[in-house]
Amino acid sequence: MGNQNKNNRDAIIEIVYRILKASLKAILIYVIYVLVSPFIVPITEFIPDFFSSIESFLIIFIALMFLSDLTKDTIFQYFFNTARQIFVIGYLLLSMSEGVMSLSYENLILTVNLTIFYGIALSLSLLGFARSILQAIEYKSRKAEKEISFQSIQKT
Amino acid sequence: MKVPIRMLGIITSVFWVLLIVFIILAAYSIKDLKFDIDEPEVIFDTNGELIFNLPIVIDNGGYYSLKEFNITTLLSNSEGLEISKANSYIPDIPSQEILTINHNTSLNLNDVFQDNENYLFEDDNLHVLLSVGVNFAEVLPSQISTNFTFPWGAPLSNLSLGTPNISIFNSTHSLVSVLMSYDNHAFYDLVGSIDIGLYNDQNALLDETQELIITPQQTSYTKDIELYVPNSISLDNIQNGYFSIFFSTFFEYGPLVIPFG
Repeated sequence: MGNQNKNNRDAIIEIVYRILKASLKAILIYVIYVLVSPFIVPITEFIPDFFSSIESFLIIFIALMFLSDLTKDTIFQYFFNTARQIFVIGYLLLSMSEGVMSLSYENLILTVNLTIFYGIALSLSLLGFARSILQAIEYKSRKAEKEISFQSIQKT
Repeated sequence: MKVPIRMLGIITSVFWVLLIVFIILAAYSIKDLKFDIDEPEVIFDTNGELIFNLPIVIDNGGYYSLKEFNITTLLSNSEGLEISKANSYIPDIPSQEILTINHNTSLNLNDVFQDNENYLFEDDNLHVLLSVGVNFAEVLPSQISTNFTFPWGAPLSNLSLGTPNISIFNSTHSLVSVLMSYDNHAFYDLVGSIDIGLYNDQNALLDETQELIITPQQTSYTKDIELYVPNSISLDNIQNGYFSIFFSTFFEYGPLVIPFG
């Protein structure tokens, strides 16, 4: 009975620790965004919904990161990691369309070809995605190894 | 497997950091990039071409060089037909360097007036399409384009010849005087000569004269043109006819036929 209580208490402490760690990480990322955002204010003159788009991206990104940290050392951590990478890839693909950004201001038209920039960002996201998949495979194989060795110990 | 995954994670993070640093530096570089347009000049070259010289000062105070910098201007008339096109190209503007580009747009007035003589006599608007392209930091090709109109002032606006006034000059000749006037609305002075021929209704040349003209921009020209017709020609013969006018200034234009009588 005493052991069970101790285990429960340890589990609660572990969960609280994870929540705190995940929250701190999320807050840290949001603080970085708040610090960087004044530099991107001029862009909102040309793209009015730029901030809302970035904020939506950040909210979903932080939420997935929070869930991933919360479910650490379970298979769900890798699900959320992979989901986050897929979300980043999807966001980049949707926002880049043809890789050419065109802005109009009065009778000025600014066209920026972001193909190379998007290409690099997309490649890095794909690397992140591959890493998440490899982590999931590694986690499952580690778990399977443990089960096999446990079964062999039981047999002997 | 853990080590390759960790290495993959480190490499991805390093590249993300580099990409973000590049974006921040690029944003700062754009902030430190300055363009200034000096007073434009209008020059006439020896071939009679009107040259608009637009000095553009580029101060690249950013961290990255500007590659393949090019400026293109396209002049077109109100119907959208191309009149002139000019391009200036600078392959490289290094970081922390100030450069002045003289962007010249030439306009052959002979071609302009031959295509549409209305530009001689009627004010209009010319359409200008200006585009500036640059490969920023070698990875971000960008282009800014704009269009605007600028007023075209006709050099021979309101050109008119009054009714010829015929009087006896001496025993051998009669004097035909006619009042000629026009307003120079152009942004350049009109310097040259006008050849005027007086013809009767049988297309016979009765007399011709040449007048030197110096009409500064935005001023009017008014002068009595005098032609002398031999008295041997009956006065009835010069009641109807036409003036044939040929302009020879920065452009050649003529003959312009103005009937009378």
